[in-house]
Amino acid sequence: MLVDFRPHTRLRGTKPVDLTTSLVPVVEALGEGAVDLAKVRVVSDWVQYRENFRDVVDLRPILHSAPAGGGAVPVPMGAREDDLEVAVDVRRSHDVALKELTATLLRSAPDRAVLEGWGRGSESLVWDFNALYWSALELWEKATGCGYEQALPGGESDARNRDAARELIDGLFAVWDRLSASNALPEELYVVELGVGNGSQAKVFLDEFRDRDREHGRGYYRRLHYLMCDYSQHVLDLARETVAEHIAHVSSFALDATRPRTSLGFLQYKVFLVYISNVYDNLPTDEVAHLGGRTYCVQTRAYLPAGEAAELAGSVAASTQELPALVHKLLRLGPALLPEAAAAHFPDVDSAVGFWRRAWAALRLEERYVPLPGLDTYPLTPVTGRVGQIPLSGELLRPLLESGADVRMHVNNGALASFVDSLMLLHPFGTLVCHDLFVTDIEGYRTHFRGPGKYDGSVVNWVNGPLLAHVGRRRGFDVHYDRFRHRTGGNIVTMTAQVRD
Amino acid sequence: MDGLPLLPTTVVGSYPVPEWMERLKTEYFRGKMSHAQLQDVHEMAIKAALRDQELARIDIVSDGELRRDNDLDYFLARMPGIEIAHTAKDFYFDYFDTRVNAPLPAPDGPAPLGLADDFAFTDSQTDRPIKFSFTGPFSLSRRVRDEAYADRRDLVLAIARILNAEAHALAARGARLLQIDEPFLAGYPNELGTAVEAINIVTAGVDVTWGLHVCYGNRYARPSWEGHYDFLFPAVLDAAVDQLVLEFARKGHDDLPVVEKHGWDRVLGVGVVDVKTDQIETPALIASRIRLALEFVPADRLVVNPDCGLRNLTGAVARAKLAAMVAGTAQVRRSLAGDSVENPAVENPAVDDAAHDKGAFGEGAPR
Repeated sequence: MLVDFRPHTRLRGTKPVDLTTSLVPVVEALGEGAVDLAKVRVVSDWVQYRENFRDVVDLRPILHSAPAGGGAVPVPMGAREDDLEVAVDVRRSHDVALKELTATLLRSAPDRAVLEGWGRGSESLVWDFNALYWSALELWEKATGCGYEQALPGGESDARNRDAARELIDGLFAVWDRLSASNALPEELYVVELGVGNGSQAKVFLDEFRDRDREHGRGYYRRLHYLMCDYSQHVLDLARETVAEHIAHVSSFALDATRPRTSLGFLQYKVFLVYISNVYDNLPTDEVAHLGGRTYCVQTRAYLPAGEAAELAGSVAASTQELPALVHKLLRLGPALLPEAAAAHFPDVDSAVGFWRRAWAALRLEERYVPLPGLDTYPLTPVTGRVGQIPLSGELLRPLLESGADVRMHVNNGALASFVDSLMLLHPFGTLVCHDLFVTDIEGYRTHFRGPGKYDGSVVNWVNGPLLAHVGRRRGFDVHYDRFRHRTGGNIVTMTAQVRD
Repeated sequence: MDGLPLLPTTVVGSYPVPEWMERLKTEYFRGKMSHAQLQDVHEMAIKAALRDQELARIDIVSDGELRRDNDLDYFLARMPGIEIAHTAKDFYFDYFDTRVNAPLPAPDGPAPLGLADDFAFTDSQTDRPIKFSFTGPFSLSRRVRDEAYADRRDLVLAIARILNAEAHALAARGARLLQIDEPFLAGYPNELGTAVEAINIVTAGVDVTWGLHVCYGNRYARPSWEGHYDFLFPAVLDAAVDQLVLEFARKGHDDLPVVEKHGWDRVLGVGVVDVKTDQIETPALIASRIRLALEFVPADRLVVNPDCGLRNLTGAVARAKLAAMVAGTAQVRRSLAGDSVENPAVENPAVDDAAHDKGAFGEGAPR
């Protein structure tokens, strides 16, 4: 048996974790059960998100071959083939009868309302919930009485920071001055913001830009084109109101952040700054794991625990069996249309929003490990055959896994797709700047829980910085990470990507 | 260019590097693979690249520059007097940090870079005419930390003299078409005079057909610079080269009139394939690009090629693009044959095949 206690820093300090109550009962339950102890891993995390997708104890089967088959694939010699991982959330483990809970799970599968089949994490319906949150944000905010920014850890987006904006602008001016000196500065100067939110960042940037340009005296503001991009047209409309005084310099585009070139292809190699704040951590992601010498895809399926499912079904005059279909209908139509489509269960929009919020609160993810027959068989982004799509092979993961040490990490498929597509927009002297939750070292996955968690109605996962840096590097970019310098505390990291050589 | 069909097709130089080969090259630079093993890999890959080009019916082929880790290091690492502090690389394509702290020794004896041996291997593997390309002195100098010369121009010229020795050795081994690549030039338009001076040192006394390739960069399939080819003129008219090989497909053909306006009366290698996109051009698009070029340059002074090297494309995409390029060129040859019966080489397979006898490529065009 392997025991992996990841939050080891919590074994010290004023309130150290007590292993005898947070872990030993799990091991005792395993000892009294029927599992082959030689093929068990016990993993302890400290799940810092109060709202998340895990139970205190989860069992994760470790498959020895992919269910779909696909021919014999060599298993690395000396690989350790475990059967089961027992995952414990240490933060909550003292609140339950841990041994009994573990023993119950080991004896038989718990009763659950399963909402989908097994699949890659990025394909789970939790991302449909996530998308629904942003597209029906107004209804959610009305129900909760608070804006989405209040759900962020710092209470506001770092995108509004004026010092950060000034620093960016001064950097742009320096590049433009140099290009201007060699007669190589284009007439039109493009800046793109992905994930514009309510337009606050854009306003801060444009206000500061105008002021700095007055001081600088080169007339760059006159040539500036600021492109606000967001998933939601509604949000874009609000953002345009926010930047009304700069409107002659602003265009807006409703687009999917994972594919900016679908709308901005005409700007290939022309954009001097792509600015992204708190977007990547909210895009779909898989997780992969290297355990005992083999590489696995972490498959998930969403479910509602039996008790919550029964309560939720009862609240909308439905049976538990009807619940999955109602959830899918909600995700397909949204709460505004649900009363029309399922009037027997939802008399009005408020009741549909209530159903949405309660379903979201109860939502959990089961996990299992499925071996990857080869990194090349694992596309990091969906293979659509779409013209202009940049294929990303799982081979890109190799440098991060080749040490052979155990690690489980995010792939951040959506962020990767967005990142490489955005790089195609950059002028040879352009820069991509991103403020987000980044894991900047693979070791960071071995000590801390990195998601998924729930931020209000959306999903949050930390972003795999070494992977983005590697992918950027293979595309000719230097990618750097620095702590966000303009606010103390917090976990926000600034990623900067610029052409190298 | 005697003996080749009208509108001969060729490549700029590099050919796709498969992912497996990138891994092997990287293993070498991490000290996990022997030099002999890597050489074997290179030779197998060169044979395959030649075969691909022959199957695509490219008139003038290249070795795909597959021995090179990038456009600079292969040359600089072999150049006496260039120091490399760290010879290991995390990724083979990375550039070495190079410096020179004493004037480069003048070439004396056998050409040190060994390019003639590289050519000889390629020559032994194909019956087609060969273009052999190498990076020019200006671009080779750009990333070298210069602690030896008071004037950086002197470093450029010193490198040029070494390349001239290589060119003599290449010609002695039978090379007939040599191309100087200057991928950094577009970023330093004010230094064109020095670059041309150095190019003329490289070509001096070497009686072959000389090409000069200037693009906007192709590192990682991205442009490194933006601008227009105006900067080349009139200085490039003083360059002792026979062909100017330029990038047009990606940027559009706005610069074609520039070439004509400044009186370039030698051969133009017109880029008709965008190497920075995976989208395969149709033969009709290729043909339209060639026809546009023909509005400014007569057919007997036009060579058809991609914008730049193919190294960043996948093999499948590169093969498809070359096939489209050859098919599009054939369309234009056919239409030109309809215009005139005085072009016996036009789209006559028998003549095409005869033209691929490398013996017909013997004489350099007059400069």
